[in-house]
Amino acid sequence: MTDNTENTENAVGTKSTEPVERHSYDVVVIGAGGAGLRAAIEARHAGKRVAVISKSLFGKAHTVMAEGGAAAAMGNVNPKDNWQVHFRDTMRGGKFLNHFRMAELHAKEAPDRIWELETWGALFDRTKEGKISQRNFGGHEYPRLAHVGDRTGLELIRTLQQRVVALQQEDKASTGDYEANLRVFAETTIVRLLKDASGRIAGAVGYYRETGQFVVFEAPAVIMATGGIGRSYTVTSNSWEYTGDGHALALLAGAALVNMEFVQFHPTGMVWPPSVKGILVTESVRGDGGVLRNSEGKRFMFDYVPDVFRKQYAETEEEADRWYDDQENNRRPPELLPRDEVARSINSEVKAGRGTPNGGVFLDVSTRLPAEEIRRRLPSMYHQFKELADVDITAQPMEVGPTCHYVMGGIEVDPDTQGTVVPGLYAAGECSGGMHGSNRLGGNSLSDLLVFGRRAGLHAAEYIDGLGTAGKPAVAAADVDAALEEALAPLANADGENPYTLHHELQVTMNTLVGIIRKPEEVSEALTKLEEFKPRRTKVGAAGGRRFNPGWHVALDLRNMLIVSECVAKAALEREESRGGHTRDDHPAMSSKWRQINLICSLNEDGSGIDLKHQPIPTIRPDLLGLFEVSELQKYFTDEELTVLGDSAEPVAEAKPAGEAKPAAEPEVKSEPATESKAEAKSEPEAKPEAKTEPAPIPGQSNGEKAADTAADKVAEKSTEKSATAEAEEQTAQAEAEAQTEDAETAAEEK
Amino acid sequence: MSTATVQEHVETSASGKAGIEMMTITVRIRRYNPEVDAAPHWVDYQVTADPTARILDSLHKIKWEQDGSLTFRRSCAHGVCGSDAMRINGKNRLACKALVKDLNPTKPITVEPIQGLPVLKDLVVDMEPFFQAYRDVKPFLIAHGNEPTRERIQSQKDRDRFDDTTKCILCAACTTSCPVFWADGQYFGPAAIVNAHRFIFDSRDDGANERLEILNDREGVWRCRTTFNCTEACPRGIQITQAIAEVKRALITRRVI
Repeated sequence: MTDNTENTENAVGTKSTEPVERHSYDVVVIGAGGAGLRAAIEARHAGKRVAVISKSLFGKAHTVMAEGGAAAAMGNVNPKDNWQVHFRDTMRGGKFLNHFRMAELHAKEAPDRIWELETWGALFDRTKEGKISQRNFGGHEYPRLAHVGDRTGLELIRTLQQRVVALQQEDKASTGDYEANLRVFAETTIVRLLKDASGRIAGAVGYYRETGQFVVFEAPAVIMATGGIGRSYTVTSNSWEYTGDGHALALLAGAALVNMEFVQFHPTGMVWPPSVKGILVTESVRGDGGVLRNSEGKRFMFDYVPDVFRKQYAETEEEADRWYDDQENNRRPPELLPRDEVARSINSEVKAGRGTPNGGVFLDVSTRLPAEEIRRRLPSMYHQFKELADVDITAQPMEVGPTCHYVMGGIEVDPDTQGTVVPGLYAAGECSGGMHGSNRLGGNSLSDLLVFGRRAGLHAAEYIDGLGTAGKPAVAAADVDAALEEALAPLANADGENPYTLHHELQVTMNTLVGIIRKPEEVSEALTKLEEFKPRRTKVGAAGGRRFNPGWHVALDLRNMLIVSECVAKAALEREESRGGHTRDDHPAMSSKWRQINLICSLNEDGSGIDLKHQPIPTIRPDLLGLFEVSELQKYFTDEELTVLGDSAEPVAEAKPAGEAKPAAEPEVKSEPATESKAEAKSEPEAKPEAKTEPAPIPGQSNGEKAADTAADKVAEKSTEKSATAEAEEQTAQAEAEAQTEDAETAAEEK
Repeated sequence: MSTATVQEHVETSASGKAGIEMMTITVRIRRYNPEVDAAPHWVDYQVTADPTARILDSLHKIKWEQDGSLTFRRSCAHGVCGSDAMRINGKNRLACKALVKDLNPTKPITVEPIQGLPVLKDLVVDMEPFFQAYRDVKPFLIAHGNEPTRERIQSQKDRDRFDDTTKCILCAACTTSCPVFWADGQYFGPAAIVNAHRFIFDSRDDGANERLEILNDREGVWRCRTTFNCTEACPRGIQITQAIAEVKRALITRRVI
C-alpha cells in the first residue's frame, strides 16, 4: 500500500487558493504522548491505517516529564494488593467524583498494560526476585508504582516510540513501505476537526509547523490525546504543548467537557530563579525527609494540621523525625499532608509575610540527610537545582511554591469506549475527563493513559468496522475553507497585536483570579477579562511568514487557551463547594449534594462562548460501593444515596445521631440535580452498555457531611492543640473525609 | 539537624538571591529564513538577563519582545525532552540547561544550530537523518520464544548493566558534536550506537547479533575515533565513548557481557 497523498493539490475541492495536502486514514490520533501512542498502536494492531499527529518532535511529548511511576496493582511487592484496593484508593483520591466505571477499568487493567509494556522492552527497577518493583506513593495503600528511577515517563514514551518503530519495520517487510499503516506526522498542529453532514467525524485539518502548509486528514475516527491546559497559567509545570488543544477542538466539534474546575496545583514547584518558576520539585523530597520552613526558620506545617488529621500526623518535630525510621510506632510528618492542604498552607505563610525573598517557602533536605544520601536518593532534583538555580540542595534549602500541574476535567467520554457524543470522536489521557474525579493520585496518570489509550484505539477500530464500506463520512469543502481562513487571519494581520502580550495577560488573569483559592468576585472578574480578550484574539498579528513562525502558532493556540480558560472559570464560579482541585474561599467545605453533580461545558449556540449545565453523576454500582465501609461513604454521600446498598450495608447506627449532633456548615446547592438532569443531560455517547448515568439522583439531606463534622469533633477532643487557623476548622468535614485518603499524594511525581 | 545551620542557610539564601542584579547581554544568533535569506547570517540582540537564568529564557525574551519569528525548538524546558540542543559559545548544550553566568556574558554569547544536519530555519535543523540512524539500529526489544503472561524476570544487576544508555533523550547533542559525523553524514553517530547498546546489553533481548552486524558496517562503530566529544556534549552525562567501546569489544569477542 502506498501513501495516497495528493501533494500540493487542492484535492478536497475547497474554494481557497491555498494548496492543501490531503491524506486518508482510518484513524487519526491527535497527540503523540503516552495516550496517543498507545491508542495508535492498538488501532494498528486492529488492522487499521493510523496517522499520529504530533505538535512537537516524535518522542518529546509531555509524558517524558513524569518521574514517579505508573500505578498498577500487580502485587509484586505486597501480594495483598489487588484491583479493588486500587479502585478504592482512586475514588478516595478523587473525593468520589470519579466516574466509577473508569476507575474500575483502570484498576483492573493497569497491571496488564504494565506487563505488556515490559514485554515490549520497557526498563523497570526490579524486586529481588527479578519482577517489576513497585514503590510506595501517596494515597496508594500498598507499594504500587512500577518505575524506573525517577524517569518513568521518559522510559514509557520511549518504549511506545520503539514499538511504533518496530511496527513500521514489520510493515516495511510486508509492504515495502515503513509508513504504510502507521505514520507519525511530527511538528504538525490540528486547527479544526471536520464532520460530515450528519454530524459524524470526517477528519481534521491542520498545518505543518515547518512549512506552514495546510494538510487535511480524512478519517472516520479521530482520537484526541492532547494532554492538559497548564500553559494558560503563569506558573505551571507543564510544557509548551499544553494549550488545551484537544479540549477546545472537541468542544468546537460538539463534544462536552466535564468538571473543568478541577485543576491540580502541586504544592512544590520551583520559584527561583524566575525563569524556572513552576518547574516541579518532586514530592519524594518530602517523602525522604525534606521539611518546609518559613522565613523565620519555623517548620510551619505543624501549625496547619487540621484537627481531624491529628491522629495520623505527628505533633512534634521529634516524633515526625522518628517516623522515617519507624513508621509503625510514630505518626507522619505534617509535610506529608494531602497536596491541597500543603499548597494552601504555603499560600497562607507567604500571604502572612513569612515567605522567602522570592515568594515561596523553604524546602530543606540539606540539614536532614548526608549530602551523599541526597545525591543518591534525589539525583534529578540535585541536578535540577544545581544546573537551573545554582542551588546545591545538599547545602542549601530550596525555595518552592504551588504550581499548576494537571487538569482533572476534560472531554466527556463513555467510560468503556472513550467515545464522545460526536460519532467517531474519542479521547484518552489527560484531555479526557472523569477518571480522576476532583483530584488525581500520583502514579495514576501513566496507568490512565495506557489503559484508556488502548481502549480508545480498540473502540475507534470497532467503530470503523461498524461503518461498513459505504458509510465513510465525507469532508465538506466549505468547512476546510473556513478553517483555512481562520488560521490564516493572523498572517494577514501583520500589524496586529503581539500574540505573546495577550497570552501573557491571559496567564496572569488565570493565575491570579482562578488559581488555587477561588473567590467568586475574582472569578467573575476573570470572566469579564476573558470576554475582553476574545475580540483582541481575533486581531492579533504574526509577522514573519509561514515557515516555522512561532508567533503565528501562538496566535492560533490562543483560541484554544481562551476556550479552556472560560470553561475553567465558569465551572469554578458555579461549583459552590471545596473539593480536591477546587477550593472556594466562600464555600470551604465539601458538599454531598454537589458530589451528585457533574458540571458540563459545551459550545453555545452561536459559538461565541460556553454554556454550562448540571448533570447528575452516574450512580456507582452497589457492588463497587460495597467495597467501602459505610461509615466512610457517609462522609461523601447522602443517606438516601446509600440506601441502594440495601440491608447488607445499611448506614451504621452510630453515625445517625452523629449526623444530628451539629448543624453542618454546608454550602447551599443551587439546583436540584434531578430536575436539571432530565431536561439537560446530554445524551451520552452511544454504544455504551455503561452509559448508565441517570441514576435518578436523590435530592436529600446531606447527613454525610454532618456525620463527618462530628467525627471530626471527636478527633479534636483528643488533640491538645487548637487548630492554628480558622480556615482549617472550616475545612474539618472535608479534611476528615480526606483522612481516609491519608497522604493522598505524598510521594513523588505523578504524571 | 540544628536550627543554627538552617538559619545560616536561610540567610545565605536570602542575601545571595535578593542581591542578584540583572545585566544586559548580547546574544548573537545565527538566523536563517529560507523564504527570504540567501544564506545564514549573525544577528545581535541586546537583552536584559538574570545571570542565573538560562539561555533559553533570553531566546524567549527575544522572541516575545523583539522578533516573534525567531524559531527554535523547546518543550519541557528542564532537560528531559531533549528538544533544544544548540551550539552555544561553540559547544553543544541544551538551551534550557545553559546558564547565562556560565557563558561569559561580558562578550556576545553565540547561539547557532547544531552542526551536521540541514538547517530548516534559524536554530531548527532537520532531525530526520538523526532519527533514521536511530531507527536503523532496531531500537526495540527483539525476543524469541513465547511471550510471558506477566513480566519477564530480570535481576536488578542485569537491569543495571545497561542503565546508563537508557538515559538518552535523543537530543542529538552527541551526534552533532562528532567530527566524524560532520564529515560523513552516513555515519550512524554516537546516539544511534548508544541506543543499540541499550538493547545489546539488555538480558531480555535476543537481537544482539543482528544489531552488532548492523554496527559492523563501514558506517558503524569502527568510524568512531574516540574523541570523547560526544561524552562531553551529553546533557545526561551518559558515558557514550565507553558505550561505543563496549560495542566494539562485543564485536571483537562476540560476547555480550
